[in-house]
Amino acid sequence: MSISEHTTTAHALTFGQRGFLSRFGPSNRTIFPWVLMAPTLIILFAIGIYPFLYSLYIAGHNVILSKPYIPQHFVGLYQYQAVVQDPEFWHALRKTLLFTVQAVFIEFWLGLGLALLFQRQLQGVAFMRLFILIPMILPPLVTALVWRYMFYPGAGLMTYYVGAVTRALGLGEIPFLSDPVIAFQTLVFVDVWEWTPFMFLMLSAGLASIPRQPYEAAEIDGAGSWRVFWTITMPLLRPAILIAVIIRTMDAFRTYELIVIMTRGGPGNATTTLNVFLTKTGLEFFDASKAAALSLIMMMIIIVMSFVFIRVFRSKTEVAE
Amino acid sequence: MNVMKTTAALAAGLALWTLALPVQAQTEAQKALSGTTIHFLAPSMPQFAALGKFLPEFEQKYGIKVVVDEVPFENYRQKSLVEMQQGTGTYDFFAVDVMWLAEYAAAGFLEPLMPYVKNTDLTDADYDIDDFLPRVISGTGVFNDTLFTIPIGAGPVGTTFRADVAEKAGFKLPERFSPDFTTQYMFDAAKKVNNPESNMIGFANIPGRWFWGVTYLPYLYAFQTPETKGDEYVDKDWKISINNERTVASIDYFTSFKQFMPSDSANWGIGEATAVYQAGNAFGTWNYQDFVKGFFEDPETQAKVAGKNVHLHTPVGPNGVIDPWFGAWSLGLSKDSKNKEATWTFIQWLTSKDIQARATQYGAGPSRHSTYKSETLAKYQPWWPGVYEFMLKETNPDERIRVPEWAEISDIMGEEGNRVWIGEIDSKTAAANMEKRMTEAMRKGGYYIPGRDDLPKQQWRDLTYYDRLPSSWN
Repeated sequence: MSISEHTTTAHALTFGQRGFLSRFGPSNRTIFPWVLMAPTLIILFAIGIYPFLYSLYIAGHNVILSKPYIPQHFVGLYQYQAVVQDPEFWHALRKTLLFTVQAVFIEFWLGLGLALLFQRQLQGVAFMRLFILIPMILPPLVTALVWRYMFYPGAGLMTYYVGAVTRALGLGEIPFLSDPVIAFQTLVFVDVWEWTPFMFLMLSAGLASIPRQPYEAAEIDGAGSWRVFWTITMPLLRPAILIAVIIRTMDAFRTYELIVIMTRGGPGNATTTLNVFLTKTGLEFFDASKAAALSLIMMMIIIVMSFVFIRVFRSKTEVAE
Repeated sequence: MNVMKTTAALAAGLALWTLALPVQAQTEAQKALSGTTIHFLAPSMPQFAALGKFLPEFEQKYGIKVVVDEVPFENYRQKSLVEMQQGTGTYDFFAVDVMWLAEYAAAGFLEPLMPYVKNTDLTDADYDIDDFLPRVISGTGVFNDTLFTIPIGAGPVGTTFRADVAEKAGFKLPERFSPDFTTQYMFDAAKKVNNPESNMIGFANIPGRWFWGVTYLPYLYAFQTPETKGDEYVDKDWKISINNERTVASIDYFTSFKQFMPSDSANWGIGEATAVYQAGNAFGTWNYQDFVKGFFEDPETQAKVAGKNVHLHTPVGPNGVIDPWFGAWSLGLSKDSKNKEATWTFIQWLTSKDIQARATQYGAGPSRHSTYKSETLAKYQPWWPGVYEFMLKETNPDERIRVPEWAEISDIMGEEGNRVWIGEIDSKTAAANMEKRMTEAMRKGGYYIPGRDDLPKQQWRDLTYYDRLPSSWN
């Protein structure tokens, strides 16, 4: 083969390759967007879709990780049936919903109150805003550990000082983490302490985005502050409320570190939420299939809840508009 | 001058002592392992801290580096099982609680050790596997007739009381294993001394949900009759048999100590109860024999109670039955280890006669005949020798049924029992709930498959199984 033949072949190859690659280039408006999105889609598949599909597979079988000697086979919907027939699931679901509703409700109103307060140009507002955000900045693990020691029997700061007051009043010690009802409310209290700043932050941003004109018009009309709040502030704040409440509801529904570190689901099963039940099933009893079914059921509950929220808020916003 | 003389004498003494230590020559195979690094996963507990003091000595002698990752006890089983299940061999060996052996071994996560024990290229000539107490090694490390782990200390659960407080109250506590130390005696003594106004509670019990599988069981056994021993959890056909009046009575007894404890005690674990006792605010508490030195008798850290204690077994029940089980930790070689020979070299060195005896000065417990008879143990932990006969003849390693389902059974017991403690349900309901839920756990484990004829043998019904010479296991 002569040099010129070599050159011609190389030239043809290069052009051939360019021709092949050019099919995926910007000129191809059908394929090029997919090329650009490919890295993201691959990562999404690897960390989102594949695990989801694998969860579906596991939930359809009988996999117990600590018993690899048990033959695995397809069991259909048995694992889902096992979950919904387990009284512990319904108990944990009740506790989870109660925890979520209480925590999000209190956090919302406290956060809104703070956001309205900080909207006024008071002295030291910038410093106070930073101060208020500290609980949210702390890792949940640290928060849980700090509060666990605050409530430590006989030695914790809260136990000591609150105990001193209650003893003086003749009420004795308060069993913060030992009484089923009080332990549950203690967890709600700590969650509120940690996440009210998030509500405050979101609602502050929402308030800042409301235009001044409606307020000016209301002032001219002589509307009182209560009426302004319910007829202007709240309707116009709805998009921010929707986002804040959905995010917090999903988070509160999945609360884990706080409960596991402070009470581990006890005393008895008084603070066993779905996530604690899930962890026990999957990582203490290593029943991977039941845990996978449970996690998929939890996912469905969260999706349905979010859907309901969006529908309700959207319809109310449309009415307001 | 005196200082110099003293120093010289000490140096000479130290040199002589060092020379007197048994010196093991390394084999060629052991020498070839120099430069290897092995990884160990262990819970944060006193006995592992005691053994940790010997790592530099091993590394210097064999040139094998040992990296230890410690995990809080409450997270240990989860972490170890996840690591084993992944099969990456990140950890070459694991600490194995006596109750988890069945789960680990049945799943094939551990390497059988007898071939290593018999490998003279890797095992020191004076290792002497038959020096281990038969019931300790079989109860701790044997599953399906195969040796999977080597114990690093084993002892019964017991009780610790303040002798000085009893004396002030006008009575003297009985000796260990005395038939006079009954469940009724223990309750009456706690009641007599109980005085919360003076910061002295009668007994620091451990009712936390996750501890019932250890702290409640001595009473479950104590309330059996001689005829029902062995039937605490399952009958001969593996049917759950816990729902009965004996269980109810034992729960009632265990929870009766609530009257002596503060209102915030429902979640108390070993840490809380021990802290209250160490602070001098409790007359009695739970002990595990391996913890006694570290938790109650260290004059530096437990100045208020060290030297004032009486360490007893758990009490004899109303029908004359005493709790026969023991707790133990052992070392198991991962089947996925890439450094099996180096790891075994370490395990056999750490569990050798010499190291086991020397470790007792730091609080480690004995599992060898030679350790029980060593002067070091007698000097540093004089409360141990009395346990020797019990560990040889009385103990029943399988009294807590060692089945892969134990973790679930234990959790169920803890949850239902703790609900009684907080007043949510009564003991009869708890026993009924336990039976129902444990049955489901066993059903899931395949025990009730119709026609199944390969169910494991209930070894606890014939203790001669555990008395086999250690070297006779596979």
